[in-house]
Parts: sequence; structure tokens; C-alpha cells
Amino acid sequence: MSGLIGTSVPRRDALAKVTGAARYAEDLVVEGAWFGLTVRSTEARARLLGIDRDPAFDWSRAVVVTAADIPGENVVHLIEDDQPALVADEIRHHAEAVVLVAAPDPATARAARAAIRLRTEPLAPVLDLLAAEAAFARYEIAKGDLGAGFAEADLIVEGAYRVGHQEHVYIEPQAMVAVPEADGGITVTGSLQCPYYVHAALARALALDPARVRVVQAETGGGFGGKEEYPSMLACHAALLARAAGRPVRMTYDRHEDIAATTKRHPAVVRHRTGVTSDGRLVAQDIEVIMDAGAYATLSPVVLSRGALHATGPYRCPNVRVRARAVRTNTPPNGAFRGFGAPQTELAAEVHLARIAEALEVPAAELRRRLAYREGDVTATGQVLRHSVAAIDVLERAEEASDFVAERARTARARESRLLDAARAGTGSRGLHPGAERIASGVGLALGWHGAGFTGSGEKALASRAAIELAGDGRIRVLTAQTEIGQGAATVLPQIAADVLGVPAESVEPAPLDTALIPNSGPTVASRTTMVVGGLVADAARDLRAQVEARAGGPFVDNYRQDALTHGPTRVDARFEGYPGIEWDQEHYRGDAYPAYSWAAAVAFVDVDLDSGQVAVQRVVAVDEVGRVVNPLLAAGQVEGGTLQAVGYATIEEMGVVDGRYRNDRLATYLVPTALDAPAIEAHLLEVPFPDAPHGAKGLGELPMDVGAPAVIDAIHDATGAWVTELPATPARVLAAIRALEEDRHGEPVDEGVP
Amino acid sequence: MTAPATRSPAVPTAPAHRFTVNGRPVEVAAPGGRRLLDVLRLDLGLTGAKEGCGEGECGACSVLIDGAVVDACLVPVCQVEGREVRTVEGLATDDRLDPLQAAFLATGGVQCGICTPGMLMAGRAFVDTLAPGAAPTDAAIREAISGNLCRCTGYGRIVEAIRLAAEGAADGGAESVHAAVAAAAPAGADLPTAAPGAPDGSAVPVGRAGLLDLDDPPAITPRTLGEAYAFLAGGGWRPLAGGTDALVERAAGIPDPRGYLDLAALAELRAVRLEDGALVLGAATTYAALRREPLVAVHAPVLAEMAAQVGAAQIQGRGTLGGNLATASPAGDSLPVLLALDAEIVVGSARGERAIPAAAFFPSYRRTALAPDELILRVRVPLAPGRTVAFRKVGTRRAQAISVVVLAVAWRWGADAARGTWRDVRVALGSVAPTPIRARATEAALEGAPPTAEVAAVAAATLAAEIAPIDDVRSTAEYRRVVAGRILHRVVRDAGGW
Ligand SMILES: Cc1cc2nc3c(=O)[nH]c(=O)nc-3n(C[C@H](O)[C@H](O)[C@H](O)COP(=O)(O)OP(=O)(O)OC[C@H]3O[C@@H](n4cnc5c(N)ncnc54)[C@H](O)[C@@H]3O)c2cc1C
Ligand code: FES
Ligand code: FES
Repeated sequence: MSGLIGTSVPRRDALAKVTGAARYAEDLVVEGAWFGLTVRSTEARARLLGIDRDPAFDWSRAVVVTAADIPGENVVHLIEDDQPALVADEIRHHAEAVVLVAAPDPATARAARAAIRLRTEPLAPVLDLLAAEAAFARYEIAKGDLGAGFAEADLIVEGAYRVGHQEHVYIEPQAMVAVPEADGGITVTGSLQCPYYVHAALARALALDPARVRVVQAETGGGFGGKEEYPSMLACHAALLARAAGRPVRMTYDRHEDIAATTKRHPAVVRHRTGVTSDGRLVAQDIEVIMDAGAYATLSPVVLSRGALHATGPYRCPNVRVRARAVRTNTPPNGAFRGFGAPQTELAAEVHLARIAEALEVPAAELRRRLAYREGDVTATGQVLRHSVAAIDVLERAEEASDFVAERARTARARESRLLDAARAGTGSRGLHPGAERIASGVGLALGWHGAGFTGSGEKALASRAAIELAGDGRIRVLTAQTEIGQGAATVLPQIAADVLGVPAESVEPAPLDTALIPNSGPTVASRTTMVVGGLVADAARDLRAQVEARAGGPFVDNYRQDALTHGPTRVDARFEGYPGIEWDQEHYRGDAYPAYSWAAAVAFVDVDLDSGQVAVQRVVAVDEVGRVVNPLLAAGQVEGGTLQAVGYATIEEMGVVDGRYRNDRLATYLVPTALDAPAIEAHLLEVPFPDAPHGAKGLGELPMDVGAPAVIDAIHDATGAWVTELPATPARVLAAIRALEEDRHGEPVDEGVP
Repeated sequence: MTAPATRSPAVPTAPAHRFTVNGRPVEVAAPGGRRLLDVLRLDLGLTGAKEGCGEGECGACSVLIDGAVVDACLVPVCQVEGREVRTVEGLATDDRLDPLQAAFLATGGVQCGICTPGMLMAGRAFVDTLAPGAAPTDAAIREAISGNLCRCTGYGRIVEAIRLAAEGAADGGAESVHAAVAAAAPAGADLPTAAPGAPDGSAVPVGRAGLLDLDDPPAITPRTLGEAYAFLAGGGWRPLAGGTDALVERAAGIPDPRGYLDLAALAELRAVRLEDGALVLGAATTYAALRREPLVAVHAPVLAEMAAQVGAAQIQGRGTLGGNLATASPAGDSLPVLLALDAEIVVGSARGERAIPAAAFFPSYRRTALAPDELILRVRVPLAPGRTVAFRKVGTRRAQAISVVVLAVAWRWGADAARGTWRDVRVALGSVAPTPIRARATEAALEGAPPTAEVAAVAAATLAAEIAPIDDVRSTAEYRRVVAGRILHRVVRDAGGW
């Protein structure tokens, strides 16, 4: 090992990005490419009776593809294969793709799209997740004896929490170029996270021999899960058009279409009923999780699974029941988004825990310290946490770094004096009289955990492969399917290999993300890149080093160039074999849900404008324990970016849905934080290495998303005394909560008279 | 007035536009309404500027025009004529990175990189306008890039990079720019590749757009008001000032008119002066000009305060008062202020000029009192010594936010026996009705009264009863009604000092 682990090796892709040289999908000039567009449904549910082409349009100028023209199966292959590439008979959500058109230039393509009419007969849609009966997945996790637990309880605390959709807002919209090959195959280049998902979907829909399908990742302008499954759909569309047109076809969504049609974070309702003893033990947790999957399964079963497995929060409780379902509604399908189901359920768990502490009249931080998992504790699925448990570590570091106790005392004093002042003034009338002070400050804390890698036996089933190659010219390449989507995969994986080989980091390159070259090391999701694939890369590198050193009789670093010249290229493949001692029973939801967990705590400082309910998050102290930190600069960047996404989720990112259609379907109405809205974020990385990964790293990418939002909600409560139980805590929701308290104090009813 | 011409002169469909890009002269033949972003990316092969929204919201397309940062997706190429455009490709010189680029590398300001070119240009504009030796504050840097969204970094490292560059602490270093370009070949090395601009940032026309029909509207740039009036009288031409509303509507698929009547060459529309007891602001006065214009600071500082809260740098640099007035959105931020200031809108056509009181300018939802052949020429704000104006904008975030409620309250303190009371009270609001409004009943409740708790209570209740807001994509009727009352209450309270 050359000591590269733990150093901030510079990003490989950064120079091209600061000079404008990096080529994203829209930057590729593909000679003769036509422009593809999509005709979409305008109803949430309808029967498709026919597709009419306006005879006034000259159809020789365009190609048209409908479901009937799909050579293979009309599915976008994923878990359930229930989602068609194009609607054949029933429209199941708004903005669903029905017809594709392509033409030599954008204006003609637009005219062609406008010349197509869908004849439909409306059907009654299911739009409310609570009313939906059909479910794509249901799980139940049970431990201990719930009835006995509640019988032992001195206090039962109930709470219901609701979260809306969250849009990814990767700044580069979905984009794909498909090029038909002379042999009947297809090459697709685009903005994507999981080349082998796209590869499988293309082979299926186009009925192609997988060997004739080639998927290449262009530079990708952000993903966050939003380019995990959707690019398969877009690739199928571009490929269908390219085959119909007999030439390359480019499809790039504009922002409006991107928001209207692509996946979001699942809305959810989470209900908690918790039995607590007066000495502060949890004796029963009964939790119900309902996620809105939208119209098709996509990844919902897996998202729900992760949500359910994290729903208890990282807290000791002998009797637990978690019932979870992902229901079908006539809304666009929801899918992967950083955190993958856990942010929704951990928000509920954390806010609920703070309310339990309130009911017990103990500081929530104190209660967390008493209840948080320690080594040897047993989770709801019966997993014994044998190693690398850092809940207390992150909690204590977060409290220290934020001076939490003193800050809480300060905000409590300010709140008291505000309440006194309000009581003295005592005039409150119809919510129109804010108090003397306009700004209330608050500080809040949340604790969280995140299972690293795929759930249960997922990694083993995936059997990922990665490779390292010493080329004949002495170049060393790491071959994986892990895409660079901004998180630093293209830097970290070569860095791990270079560390093992004992060569400078720049001596190892990532292979181009091209399925013609790279083995299937699984998708770039679930915080698995560094832990799982990094482990494979390290294994392969160790083997390569041993081979070369055996041949040369000296250190790899001094001999590999000569070895390449004399011996020719050497390639070593490694296959994932499973972590020792991990057992999972998928049917009963028992056993080791994840090989390891990462841990996080966040402390948020907010200022609430009491006139308007606007929340300004001023500062967040984010403490994340991620095993071993491979590249501190990149890791801190992940924590900071994830934290801001969580802050946006908590405060302003609101997606209205009207009749199954997204109302906030432009960046002018779906608002994400600007630099002025972003808090100062202090990232602290802790290391409690995972003994079974070769370099000790666990997952990192999703962790900060789990704790940021509940910390903000806790801080709003600290500032105002009001719990906001529905995300996002928009000014309207916060003000409503503030007013309810004001009216309580003044003993007057809240004025409900809306003109 | 010049005599009205009766017909519009012929407009060439794809005239040649001459300007410089990264220091090199270029000539592009394109309809005048083509977006600068398309000209750069498609005509010139400079793909550094990215398209993230096409609506001025994300800043990924930011470039500099004569040193000022703009969203290239909202600038028609006709307005770039004779000007100096700088793009990310032009930042590095002589194989040395710009210090800002080096600082982004050093701090970790780059993740997925899609926002990076725009961030660099916004940062460059900020650093270039700093007084030498001035240390920028965190807040100033954040404001400067608040029109540029980044979804990856959380912004901290970008802010840090700009600070380093501003303080001269970052060195461009000798990173090979050529190596960066070579390394950026798309992954499948045998794929057809882009025809990029040359590494030194000069533009290489690839003529790709020349083959494409982008449906761009034509544009005409009259040199005199008379010429402009003639086009308007001819019908169908749409005046274009900063384009920050017009090009957004086009992106949203609202059908184009016949073409743009570009007002950029009409210098009289940009004049700011004192005349006949009024501050006179040309219709093409931008928000940026309002913020820096000394006459505004002295006579109507509330306009500068308002302008500072519009959009972000890119929008403030291009958006104009005249555009805000003509769009007549109920959420337009300048409109309640102009109502509270008793402003007059002076409009003109071949038929002559007339002045319209602001209070009569907005007859109904998104309608104005303008006749189809009229242009807004200027806004007259009567000088009123002793007038105090309070402004409050409530939006959902702190930059790039359309108002959920916007309030302007003007008054004068009474003299002698009336000392301590409010006189000539104006209460104007936006986003609470189909048009910007004056709340006359609330004004009456405040007129002649002292700003006491009792008066505040009555005024807030009167206002809440007087307005009839609606639920829309940005907020709810209930929220607007309550917040309007609360912020008015606060204005009275602050003035009363209780
Ligand atoms: C990202 C973003 C943020 C924004 N934020 C805000 C905000 O915070 N507050 C706000 O109020 N607005 C905001 N806007 C809207 C817009 O910037 C303003 O309304 C601006 O003042 C429009 O001016 P313009 O010169 O760009 O108008 P243009 O787009 O050039 O024109 C708008 C309309 O006015 C007409 N017009 C322009 N000048 C004249 C004239 N002299 N005579 C007759 N007609 C004329 C045009 O024909 C057109 O119909 C925002 C827009 C964007 C894209
Ligand atoms: S592309 Fe988003 S502002 Fe221009
Ligand atoms: S680096 Fe990805 S959007 Fe800023």
C-alpha cells in the first residue's frame, strides 16, 4: 500500500470540466443525427383508442414509432417488467410516452409532434396514496411481542408524518443519442448512471443479441438516482427511432419535459405508535409506511424495502412491527433518489423520537444517547450489529462541534422571553399580529444510519465483476461499470488500485464507460461504489501486483512497465463472493439486512421569520461516519451536497400534484436552494472501519440525505415551539403552525375564513 | 416626432451578426431572434455554456457580454451585435488556467461539472468588478452566484474558490489546457466526436446550426423611435428589451409573434434624469442600473432596494422597468413600488406621447393600458421630499424567486399639530389580486393616523379583508392574505418604534 487511502487525490475529470472541454451528451456532434420527440398523455388514466396523424402534415419528413413498431417486448426492463416503453392500450399516468417522432431538425420534429392526436376515453384514476388499494410490494418486519411491549409501556406516543415528491434537479436534463450499426446492432451514448441497466433494457425491447448492444456514458451532469432507471426508457426511445429512421437520433429533454415525465422521490405517509416507559426505554414500535409508487413498479419494491428497514431509526427496542407498502396510483412512477426510501422513514423516526423526548420531558439528545444502537445490539430484523457501530460517536461529535447544549440553552431563553412578551402584549387577532421580534432562532439535531450496499443478499445475487488491466504499453486501467456522475468514482476507484499497486494515483486510469470494454460491476447506486466495487478493485489489484512481482522478482512500481513490454498485457478480473457471515431471509425479512451501516448526525441552525414563516437554514454541522475515508475532499463534497439536498427537501422543494399532473413542473416553480439559501455546511468525517471490506470503506453518498431534513424540522420546533409534520416545511406550513400556537396562547380560534 | 412610415422595411431572414467571442471577431448568419446559446453551441461549436432550463433559472448557460454576466438562453443574437462575448473556453490563456479555474480545482468546487462553466463566468464577472484590494464578503459572493444553481456541491467550495481568486490567492498554474481537451474525448473513443472550439477559446464555426431549422424569429433593431413606431404600426412586432420575460414565454411554447422589435439601440430609453420635479427613468433602465444610479439612491432608494431583490445578477443586468410594466404580471416587483410612488408611465407612438398614471396602467390580468402601436418610453416618479417608503418582498427562496406577496407602503410624516401621524399614505401590493393593486381601504385606515398598535391592528385587518388572493403554484390564498396583514403590521410597528 502506498498510503494513498485517506489523501485528497485530485479529481481526474475536473480539468476538463473547468475548461469547458468536457463533453456531455448534448455536446456531442453526431453527423446526420435526427431529433426525436415524445408525444405524451395528457390524462392520468385513459384507454388509448387510436393515434391520429394530421393529413396536413407531410409525413415523409418524419418517422413515427408507436407501441406496434417495437420489435421486442414492449417493456422497459427493470424489476417487474410492467412498464411499457410506449403505451399500447391503457394510459396509466400523465406525461406517459405514447408515440415517438423524429425529424431532421427540431422545428420539423416539433411540427410532427403537434400533428399527432391521441384519441382516448377517460378512466377513473387513483390519485391518493391513502385511497390506493393495489400495491407493488408489501413487507412486514416483526420482532418480539408487540402486545406485551405496549402492555409494559407507561406512555404511548403516536404521530403521523407526510412527505411529498422530491425532484432530482440534476442540472443536465436527460439526454441520449442512438446510432444504428451496420450489423443491426445499436450504440447508445448518453447521460446515465447504470450502463448495464440500459444495456439489458435495449436488448429486451429491441429483441437484440446483447452482444450487438453497446452503451456508452457521456460526461454526466448529475444523477442522484434520477439517472438510474429513467435512461433505460430514453435509450429505448432513441434506439427505436434510430432504427426506424435508419440513422442516428438524438433525444434531449427540455427541463419542463424532464420534470413532468421522469421519476421523483416517493411521497410517503409514515405512522408511528410507540410504547415508552417513564424511565425512557422504547418497549414497542409499531410503524406503518405507505409509499406512493406511481403507476409502475420501477424500483419501488427496493426503495420500499430500504425505507422499511430504516424505519425504526437506529434505536434499541425489543418489540417491533414495521408494515410497509408501496401503492399504485395513476401518477408518474417514482424511483431512485439519493437515500432510496430511507430519508422518508428516518425523517418520521427522528421527529417522532424528538416528540417522545418532549413527552418524557427529557432532552432528545440525552434520549438518543440512551437508546442509540451500540455494538452487540439487535435490529428489528434480528441482525446483531457486530462491528463498526458509530451512532454514539457521530452524536457526540455533532454535539461537540456545534456546542449543542449551550446553543439549545440560548435558543430556549430567547423562546421564553418571546412567549412572555407575547403574553404581555396579549392582543392577537386573527393571526395578523406577529410579536415584537421578527426572527426566531432554533437549533435541531438528528441521528441516522444507512445500510451500505444492496439489501440482504442483493450483492451476492448481483455477483459483480471488476477488472484491472496492465496494458502492453504499460498503462494501468481499472475496468468497472461505475459511472462518474460527479461523486468522484473516476478518481476514487483508480486511487484504491494505485494504493494497492504502490504507484502514484495518476498512473492508474479509469477505463472508458463503454459496455464494449467494461465488465458488469453492478449499478452506481446504494452507496456501493467505494465499498463493494472498491473492494473488488483492490482484490484485482492485489492479484495483479502479485503476478507482476512474482515474474519480476521486485516491487511492482519498479517493474510493471518492463513487465508489460516483455510479458504483454495482464488482466485480472475479480468477482464479488459475498461478505462473511451475512445471512438474509427475504421471505420473512429476517437476518442481516446490510453488510454494514454508516452513521450520521446533523445539527441545523435556523432562523424562522415569524411574519412570513420563511425558514433560513444558516448553518449545518454534518457528522458522517463512513468506515474509511478514501478521499477526504471528495467525501466532504458528497456530505455538503447531500446536506443541501436535504435542506431543500425540508424547506422549499414542493411538488404540487393536480389531477395526477405535476404542478411545479419548471425550475421557476420547483425551487431548489440557491447559494443564498444554502447554509454554511461543516462536514466532519469519522472513521470506524468496516473490517470485511478490504480497505474498510462503507457507503457515503446517501447518508447525509437521511439526517438533514429531521434536523431542520427539529430546529424549526426549537425556534417556534411548533412541529411541522409534513415536508416540505414551506412558509405556508410553518406560518400555519406558528399561528396555531399564537391562537392557542391568545385563546382565540384560528381564523379559517378564506375569502 | 418623425413622420410615421406606413410599412415595415423588409427584414432579412438570416442577417450576418458581427461580434467578438473570446477576443476574436466572428460573423454568424442567423435570424436575429436566435438565442446566443444556440449561436455559441451550434453555430460556433463552443459547447462550454450548457442548457439546463432554457428559462433563465439555472445559470448553466452564463456567459459574459461586455463583462456582465447574462443567461445566454435569454439573449437573442441581434443584441450581441458589436459586443464582446466571453465564454468558459476563453478563460484560460497561453496554456495557463485562469486563477478562478485553478481555485475551483483546488477547493473541490467541481463535481458533475455541468454548472461549472456558468459558475466560472458569474464568478469572473464578480471578481472583475471588485474594487482592487477589496475583500469580498461571503454574502456578496453568494449573491453574485445566486443565479447559478448547483445541485452537487452545496456551494461552499465554489464560494471559497471565488474568494481565493478574488483575493489573488489562486494561481493559474501551468495545467495543460490541451491535455484537458484531449482527455475530454467521449468515452467510446471511436464515436463521432464533437467539433469543439479550439482550445484557446477561439470560435470555429461548424455551421451545424446552418443546417437546422430552429424556428427562430427574426428581429429588427430600429435606430430611432420613429422607425420603431413604424414597425409597431405595421403590426405583429414584439418589443424586446432585456428578453427576460419574452424569451421565457417562447421557451414555454407560447407562439412567437412575427418577430422581435429590439429596443437596444434606442439610447433615449435608457436615460435617467431629473426633470420637472420628477425622477425620470427610461423604460429600458435595468434593475442593475437602478441599483447603481446615484439619482435613484437619492430620490427613490426604494427602487434600488426592490431591484436588489429581483432574480439574480443575470436577470438584474438585463431585465428592465419597461419590460416589467408591459408584462404586467401581478407578481412584478416594480409595480407596487411605482404605484406607491404615484408614478406615471409615459408611452408613445407615431400618434404622439401620453402619460398614464400607474394606478390606471393595469386594467386587468396581464393587460396594460398600452395600445398595440405604443411603446413605453419612460417612467416619471414625482419627487416628494420627506416621503418614506417601505418595501417588503416575500418569496419562497432568497434569490430567483417570484413574489408570493410584495408590499410597498409610502407615507409622509405630518407636521405641527399632525406630528407623529401618517399623511399621503399609499399601500400597494402585488400577487394578491389579478393585477398589482392599491389597497384603498387600508390607506384610508392609515391616513392621518399615528403608527400605533391599535392602528396597526386595524390596518392589518382591513388589508386582510380588502384583498382577494388566490391559490396558485407558488402559494395559497390563505397564506397570502395572512402574510400581507402581518408584514403591513410590521411596517407600522417599525415606523412607530414600539
Ligand atoms: C429567472 C428570472 C427571475 C425573475 N425574477 C423576477 C423578479 O424577482 N421580480 C420580477 O418582477 N420579475 C422577475 N422576472 C421577470 C422579468 O425579469 C421582469 O419582468 C423584467 O422586468 C422584464 O424586463 P425585460 O426587459 O427583460 O422584458 P422583455 O422580456 O424584453 O419584455 C417583456 C414584455 O414587455 C414588452 N416590452 C418590453 N419593453 C417594452 C417597452 N419599452 N414598451 C412596450 N413594451 C415593452 C415586451 O414586448 C414583452 O411583451 C424574472 C425573470 C426570470 C427569467
Ligand atoms: S439554460 Fe438555465 S439559465 Fe439558461
Ligand atoms: S457540480 Fe454538479 S451541478 Fe454543480
